[in-house]
Amino acid sequence: MKVSRVFAVTKRALRDIKNDRRTRVLIFVAPLLVMILFGVAFTGNVKDVRVIVVNNDTAAASSSLSDKIISNFDTSTLNVAYSNSESDAIGQVQNGSAYAVIAFPSTFTQSVEARASGQTSIPQENVTVSILADKSNVNVANPIIAAVNNAVVQTTQGQGHQPPVSVDASNAIYGANAQFIDTFVPGIVSVAVWQITMLLTLIAFVGERTSGTLSRLLASPLKESELVAGYAVAFGAIGAAQSAVLLAVAVLLFHITIVGNVFLSFGVIALLAIVAEGLGILLSSFARREAQAVQFLPFVVLPAFLLSGVFWPIEAIPEWLQPVSYLLPTTYAVEAVRSVNLRGWGLDKIYPDVVALLIFAGVFLVLATILLRRRE
Amino acid sequence: MKDDVCIRDLEKDFGGFKAVNKLSLRVKHGEIYGLLGPNGAGKTTVIKILCGLLRPSSGEAYVLDTKVPDPRTASRIGYMPQELAMYRGLTVHENLAFYGEVFGLSKQQIDTREQALLKLIDLQDSRDTLVDQLSGGMQHRTSLACALLHEPQLLFLDEPTVGVDPDLRASFWQYFEELRDSGITILITTHYMDEARHCDRIGFMREGRLIAEGSPQELLELTHTDSLEDAFLSYSRTGGSA
Repeated sequence: MKVSRVFAVTKRALRDIKNDRRTRVLIFVAPLLVMILFGVAFTGNVKDVRVIVVNNDTAAASSSLSDKIISNFDTSTLNVAYSNSESDAIGQVQNGSAYAVIAFPSTFTQSVEARASGQTSIPQENVTVSILADKSNVNVANPIIAAVNNAVVQTTQGQGHQPPVSVDASNAIYGANAQFIDTFVPGIVSVAVWQITMLLTLIAFVGERTSGTLSRLLASPLKESELVAGYAVAFGAIGAAQSAVLLAVAVLLFHITIVGNVFLSFGVIALLAIVAEGLGILLSSFARREAQAVQFLPFVVLPAFLLSGVFWPIEAIPEWLQPVSYLLPTTYAVEAVRSVNLRGWGLDKIYPDVVALLIFAGVFLVLATILLRRRE
Repeated sequence: MKDDVCIRDLEKDFGGFKAVNKLSLRVKHGEIYGLLGPNGAGKTTVIKILCGLLRPSSGEAYVLDTKVPDPRTASRIGYMPQELAMYRGLTVHENLAFYGEVFGLSKQQIDTREQALLKLIDLQDSRDTLVDQLSGGMQHRTSLACALLHEPQLLFLDEPTVGVDPDLRASFWQYFEELRDSGITILITTHYMDEARHCDRIGFMREGRLIAEGSPQELLELTHTDSLEDAFLSYSRTGGSA
């Protein structure tokens, strides 16, 4: 392998991109847009959800426990309205003007106090705050339930009733101030680079085949391995540059946490881009036209998006489907970049992921070279 | 005189379809040899075998005394494929520079050769134009320059004049004759019979076989025709005997 010929290929591939404005937009603007959209959509908490409180508690206002709980509701999440009739309140949920009915039983305060003073004969339903929620959207229902729970815990603690067991999760080993966006940005970066490198490779190689340039190159002193390596250097560099831009914008716009060495994460993404390039060359040989090549994209991109732990962990994927996750190169890249960004891990700890990516890259690049070297 | 190309009993089978059938021919050093025949006669297959892009099914072919396929011949041959084979998103200069680098030329060699070639094909003003923005004729000329940059001894031109207007075709043949006079051997394929009169020798190909061979003058005399097209048709009807 001759380095000067490898770099000739690299330079040519980069020139193609330099000369074409649309490709530059695809490479740098498209993934940014995706990340910003996801960032904006996912960082917001549920706000101003209308709930109807039906407080049947007969206790005097001064001593009413139910009123104290209601006053402890997180009013940024809940927009509290009141009703005297449970059926009227349920009607409001049914016609869509509210998401939940929060009801207190008539002897609530009295029953809670009686229980606290040791009376065990009080039925459970008398001390229960019931939430009748519209659970058709769990992302709305769950915050309502959490807000009520928090208010109950806060109120009873304020009354001096300490729960027998307490849980303290305020000291984190990693990701002390991490938000959801910190968790999914490494995934967005990985999947964006995976998809765009795949697309660039497919278009470049179908083009090399149909325009005759590949024939001219294969009849020249350029070796197949040099062609594959030249593109790998070009797309690896572009992948690293893309991840740098994406992470920089994520830090500036969403203040994501990065405690590790960013250059290590750029390296991981560059490696992922090289894997995508190898696979892209293999796939390109099954397409006669660019339009056919583009049809491979959903098969390569959707599994990466859904199964490599971008938004939810591999552990949340059904066990029978998990092997697919471990066959996706993006799984290892997402895990490695996340560990670098949020856990501050170095190569000494992410090496299993890096080795997995190196194996993918090695296998695909060798197969791509063999495929190009094949002569009918 | 020695032969730059020597093909013996060459056959190429594509899953039952014989594209090349028991073909034997020689191209002498310093001549323009025209391989003529209709579309599908197997001309391109022959060129691809000689460039090492396809393997012969049987028989053998030697290029510059080396049995092909062999990577050692690559730096000494120039190949202009039918499809023009240029990067449309790159400028004329960027294409030439890339092919020059692939052939191991230094930056200085590339610059010198580029200047001479752009002058030859009259494209000095289009050096920094994207290939995509060139006219069809300019693209053809640039493609030829890409095949000549590394000063090959032997040139394979696959249908270089397809889709080229008569003016440019005339100047193309002028370049080819100039190249031959400078000592370059040329094997050219075409299905435009009349332009083949510029060749030193011609081989008529039909259905993978060589049905006749000789200088344009000889072929006309043997068939008592006054155009190469009629000469071809005459051989084609009789299946190879004049």
